[in-house]
Amino acid sequence: MWLFTDFRRLGNQAFERKMTFLVFIFLLSFLQAESARVSSSSPIFGPRQVTGLLGGSVTVKCFYPRTSVNRHDRKYWCKESTRQCVTVISSSGYTAQDFAGRATITDFPEQGIFTIEISKLVEKDIGFYKCGIGLVNRGLSFRVKLDVSKGPNVPEEAELYYIELGGSVTINCAFSTEYGSERKYMCKMGKIGCSNVIDTYGNVNENYKGRVLLSPQELAGSFSLYITQMRKEDSGVYLCGVGAYGEKGESKELDVHVYQETSVPQGPHVINGVIGGSVSVECHYDPRGNYTIKYWCKWRKNGCNQLITNLASMIDSYEGRIVLHDNPENGTFTVIMNQLTAGDAGYYWCMTDGDMERKSTKELKIIDGQPGLTGPKKIDAVIGTQVTISCSYPCKYYSYQKYWCKWRNTGCQTLISSEQNQTGLVVNCDKEKRTLYLTFDQVIQTDQGWYWCGVSHSGHYGETMAVFLTVNGDAISPNAKSEDAAISNTGSENSNDPQNRGGVIDNNSLPSSEEHDSSKVILSVLLPIAAVCLLLATVFVVVKFRLLKRTDLVSVGSYRTNISLSEFENSRDYGAKDNVGIHGAQETQLGGVDEFITTPGNAEGAEEPPKVKRVRTARIYNPRCCMQPSLSFRQ
Amino acid sequence: INSRNWQEVSSLLFFSPFKTRPVFPGYEDEEAEEHVLVDNKCKCARVTSKFVPSKDNPQEEVLVRNIRVIVPLLSRKNISDPTSPVRTTFVYRLSELCKKCDPTEVELGDRVVTAEQSNNCSSSDTCYTYDRNKCYTTTFPFFYGGKINTVQAALTPESCYAD
Repeated sequence: MWLFTDFRRLGNQAFERKMTFLVFIFLLSFLQAESARVSSSSPIFGPRQVTGLLGGSVTVKCFYPRTSVNRHDRKYWCKESTRQCVTVISSSGYTAQDFAGRATITDFPEQGIFTIEISKLVEKDIGFYKCGIGLVNRGLSFRVKLDVSKGPNVPEEAELYYIELGGSVTINCAFSTEYGSERKYMCKMGKIGCSNVIDTYGNVNENYKGRVLLSPQELAGSFSLYITQMRKEDSGVYLCGVGAYGEKGESKELDVHVYQETSVPQGPHVINGVIGGSVSVECHYDPRGNYTIKYWCKWRKNGCNQLITNLASMIDSYEGRIVLHDNPENGTFTVIMNQLTAGDAGYYWCMTDGDMERKSTKELKIIDGQPGLTGPKKIDAVIGTQVTISCSYPCKYYSYQKYWCKWRNTGCQTLISSEQNQTGLVVNCDKEKRTLYLTFDQVIQTDQGWYWCGVSHSGHYGETMAVFLTVNGDAISPNAKSEDAAISNTGSENSNDPQNRGGVIDNNSLPSSEEHDSSKVILSVLLPIAAVCLLLATVFVVVKFRLLKRTDLVSVGSYRTNISLSEFENSRDYGAKDNVGIHGAQETQLGGVDEFITTPGNAEGAEEPPKVKRVRTARIYNPRCCMQPSLSFRQ
Repeated sequence: INSRNWQEVSSLLFFSPFKTRPVFPGYEDEEAEEHVLVDNKCKCARVTSKFVPSKDNPQEEVLVRNIRVIVPLLSRKNISDPTSPVRTTFVYRLSELCKKCDPTEVELGDRVVTAEQSNNCSSSDTCYTYDRNKCYTTTFPFFYGGKINTVQAALTPESCYAD
């Protein structure tokens, strides 16, 4: 089954005539299919119909993908006639005589919108028009029906929503307060009526599960709808309303169009985690956007439960097991969750406060398996002793970067590696045993808290494991003894063994058998020991005070003021970073279309590499498509 | 090139008897969707498919494939060189058009990598038309002040804004 068309060497005109004839035949036979296809595949979108009053005016709003070429290319509005679309007005300055003085075209390149306004409408204006980009008849256009009515009322137009494939939409539906207690819904118009998408009775359409939200607004009767991860098939006419469709209440028409322009990386939509393990999720946002809040929330049928934000607020129950790393430079934030339980399964949303912003949905599935990183999860230590925490990793992480960090609600601060060790913390990697150790020379009270061992790969965060270090105050720890303990402990670095949990520390408490030996010894030793203890305590207090002054490690009790101050500073740092990113990406609008810009680059005239761009194959019904031998034209 | 020099060879239909599916009347909520199998912007060819009710048996649907080829008749042999001769041969090999050479994200273990979905994605393919998202430039000799300079010029100015 193949086709081979041979156009013999014809004169250019004869060839064109033949082609035109062919096209005519094809168009006649399949006019229906053709028109349906063109409207659905063009990335330009606008109202299907606009109505204006006789003598009045209409405004047509057309959307286009905000690519560089679209923003700078010519915009036009043309009227369809039997043969072609005749330009009415274009952004390069042309206006047809019929419309002189009563048509304007305005481009808003930053928003990807251009509007056409036609005033002093006459009956002759009724007809089909197209708004488009580039040259007329190149397919980058949208068909609009213009109707002129004698009045007095014009039908309400559907609200337009233009969303990038995989993006998200926020829809506000406002109805009068008398409907406050009524059912609220959103449905999609189909051939057999309006099929429910979501309503306040808890019904959610399977196709939209996990990616749609209906949240009531302050004003009774008003509500917002969020849909994420928009698919091509989500395009269409929706209704949002109160009451029940076709029976009672009111509704509003929404025309949603999903377009595909560039493929923004989105990462996997389904993330797998194991019980006790960890997941890390990258969320993308527009680095140019001025977003103050980025957050991660868990989807429920009636709302999204905010778990962590970039402003360091989070739910208590997630303390120590969730982190948000923001990277405003490239527009991503990474959320890492560990200590997973079966209850963590579900849908999660990456959110920013911008309305235009893409919100993405990730589904977390808990599967069978073992976490890759292993080690003790709880460690008890005594003040002043040496503590080593271990974290073993499997072979697959051999080439990854590994790190230890101290968890805080503002993030997880990576601890310095052994080479730059100055404060008595050591992070080193035992490559033989594939174990990463975190060592404290002398643990202090402020070291208590969550520590994360994790891996990352070329800037992307991977698996993590959390360890909680408890530091117990134990003042009786003679100098010599503690040193002995530290040495013996490093000798048997076998922290994986649950028996030896907490490493060094147990050895520190003095063996009680010695105390039975003789009271004389005790008496003679007691005084010097007491003196040493007193000295140690003084030194300890001084050291601790100095440490507190220059670090902001999480502490307990009376140092609370200190903690909140440091948090405040950190969040301010984040804010400052955001702004830096934004200023760098401000855009400048360039001048007229006819301006030539020469760009450096190779102009050797080499043949262009293939660009099979933006090919979207939603489903291949028949793989035999690719087995057609050849289709060739010769002129 | 203006639009009159473009010709469209449209809606060449292939009826495939291999794939059919039964029709459940009244159950079709969505409109018959068309799926884009190939959209080759470089060659200006698009292959789409959709199910339509069969003529022989209205209870069944058959797969229809449409191939649309737009032939840019006045394009140059080398689209980046306006002085090259006009292209007279246009070859469309479906097997090549159907290759999926654009990189897509693939999940490998717990990492996401980008990969081409085809084996032979050699980059020696000739384009018959400009890619709107790409800037094409050429150089030409410019005589000014008694000297000949080589000046670079944009062939597709609207695609060449650096922003």
